[in-house]
Amino acid sequence: MRAVIKDGIGIFHPQGFLDGASSNAILSIDDIEATVAQNADMILVSLKKVIFFNRNGLDSFVKMFQKIRTANHSTVGFCDYDTKKYDAIMRFYKDEISFSLFKSQEIATLFSASYKNQNKNILLYNEDKSQRAAMAIELHDNGHNPIITQTQEEFNEKANAKNAYDIIITDTFLGQMGQKVATRVTGNAIIYTVASFLDAEIGNTFNIAYHNNSLNVGFRLFIFDAYKVVSMNIHALNFFSKLSSAGAEYNATICFVGMSWDKTPKEFKETLEDSGIMFFEQMDDILHDKELLNELGASSAANIKNKRVINKLIVTELPNFIEATVATIEMMTNSEAIKDAAKIDKIAIKDPEGQIASSIGFYGDIDGMVILVFPTGIAKKACELLIGEETDNTELILDTLAELVNIVGGKVKTLLADQNISVDITLPRTYPDIQALLEIAQEKKGVQVDLSFNDDKFLFFLTR
Amino acid sequence: MITNKQIEIYIEKIPPAPKALRETLQFLNAGELVKAAHVAQEDRALSTYLKVLVNKPIYGFRTEVSEVSQIFGILGVSRSQQAVYNYMMTLLSPSKWILFKLNRVVFYNLQADLSMNWQKILLHLDIEDRDILSSISLLPASIIVSEALFCERKKDVDILRSVNPIDLNTILQRLCGIDLFGICEKIAQKWEMSQSISEIVLASSGLRPASDQQINQLGKWMHLLLFYTLSQPKYIEAELNDFIDFQIAYVEDIYENFSTLMEIS
Repeated sequence: MRAVIKDGIGIFHPQGFLDGASSNAILSIDDIEATVAQNADMILVSLKKVIFFNRNGLDSFVKMFQKIRTANHSTVGFCDYDTKKYDAIMRFYKDEISFSLFKSQEIATLFSASYKNQNKNILLYNEDKSQRAAMAIELHDNGHNPIITQTQEEFNEKANAKNAYDIIITDTFLGQMGQKVATRVTGNAIIYTVASFLDAEIGNTFNIAYHNNSLNVGFRLFIFDAYKVVSMNIHALNFFSKLSSAGAEYNATICFVGMSWDKTPKEFKETLEDSGIMFFEQMDDILHDKELLNELGASSAANIKNKRVINKLIVTELPNFIEATVATIEMMTNSEAIKDAAKIDKIAIKDPEGQIASSIGFYGDIDGMVILVFPTGIAKKACELLIGEETDNTELILDTLAELVNIVGGKVKTLLADQNISVDITLPRTYPDIQALLEIAQEKKGVQVDLSFNDDKFLFFLTR
Repeated sequence: MITNKQIEIYIEKIPPAPKALRETLQFLNAGELVKAAHVAQEDRALSTYLKVLVNKPIYGFRTEVSEVSQIFGILGVSRSQQAVYNYMMTLLSPSKWILFKLNRVVFYNLQADLSMNWQKILLHLDIEDRDILSSISLLPASIIVSEALFCERKKDVDILRSVNPIDLNTILQRLCGIDLFGICEKIAQKWEMSQSISEIVLASSGLRPASDQQINQLGKWMHLLLFYTLSQPKYIEAELNDFIDFQIAYVEDIYENFSTLMEIS
């Protein structure tokens, strides 16, 4: 069974009855490897559609969880269950729980550093005092506002207050949390979350291939969210110095936010500053300062020193990119595509009003970026297939768009693989308006193909 | 991905039930087992299928049963009708499965597993009705229809489902306004199966509760039986476990009964 991957969380959705035999058939090593390969920093099994499970059934998953943790440092566990199932799991494993339990996927996303919607007011309760504290710390570190209740009565009372909280957490247990360096994209910056003691292990937990490819596809600002870092040793210092030097040729900037120097030698900070790393106290000091963002290279591709142009190899593969895009949009909207025009030039968008955009980078044997510009109508139509209803909710539409461009990326990967060209894809990015897209793409040259889907104009742009 | 036109063409292409089958069913309906066996014996594919089916371990016969008359004699009228309907369903199944990792043997096993447990359920519910017993035969049509409609779109389906936990039934419903069970109903009509057969199968989708209480109740049992069966490793490996959505809330009130009957612990 393959996992569904969203916001860095890979979730398996078995249905029906789970015993020792069926669980083994649901989760194989291949399935896990395919999930890990897509940068999932949390791997969960949803129990939403499971009506029966026994200890043997869960044991097969738990054994697999242990292997995943050892190899990949990911957070692992179960999600989507009711109190009866939660109690059963707690009864099965008592004091030996090493995995996590999240009552819902929504709750799981709060504990994922890849989650982008922060500042949630969260009411939480757990009988175990240390669990309450652990959850509160994790939530706070992920940018939320946890409200801890000390007793069941206090919790019940507060939970009754209507609209007082965005989310209420119960029946949740934090096992060993992930130690992978989680990644999320905010605007045009990539944010990595690091925690506890930074030592030589950072070389294993940091996805260097992903970082290099983000550089290749045009990201210039990398922020290490270091609020949870206690200290770092000389090995970590060397790692970050090298990372900064390697990024210099791309004109990239690396920043640390929230790093405390209480338990780390002050000279380390100077060494890191010498290698070009900048330090800030608060994330908002960077993300809310447009001028600074411009300076740090997070707003425009114009800052790129070595501007990369589209090459013959990529143009040769253009039909594959077009096929992947057209097939995906046709599949999602059940309409037929007509190719109107194609040219090599800078991106040109005739009527930017009412259009939204999305992009995805690819890297490997060839590298570049696909940009898709949609009339909101096509995006809404695609939403209908994925969420089953019409919506005007911009956030939902952009989320669906990200899924759609992810599908395009996946198809490109498959089509190229058929020709022995190996590529990986980056996280998708979405742009609520064309201005946000042009900030990064207007200076780039590429192949533009104008398409129509049932008279809706759609733009495909392939660049590097 | 899939259009209404394609669905129309697919339904049009479904052949009417062959003459020998119709005659066999007519004789079975009239309770004339000998005549039914005589006609069935003439159809070599049907007689071979019946022999393979009833000699599966789940049927529990100690010695090999080889004559159709013997088979019908042992099974009786209702189960013989069910077996003939099961055979009709195999006429729709592809020679090579692409979307699901199935083959003829596994598919026959699935039919046998469903049929035997359905019989057990009806015995438990104290229901003796030929058409209700046969209704389980139509259920695998949902798998066959999925295979036929989605086999050329396997990669698309895989990619779509890698970002969204959407089942094939929902994809079809959202794209074309008709779901797998709706198509099963059309197959049943084409093959002149009784109305109650398609009504139970429609209810067993878990999405269309029947207004008739008994049919709705049977739909629940069938829905739960389907997922009980699809939780077996061989069907999980065939990628059948999540081709449609399991509606837990729909079957909650019969679950305890079901688990006692199936001795689940």
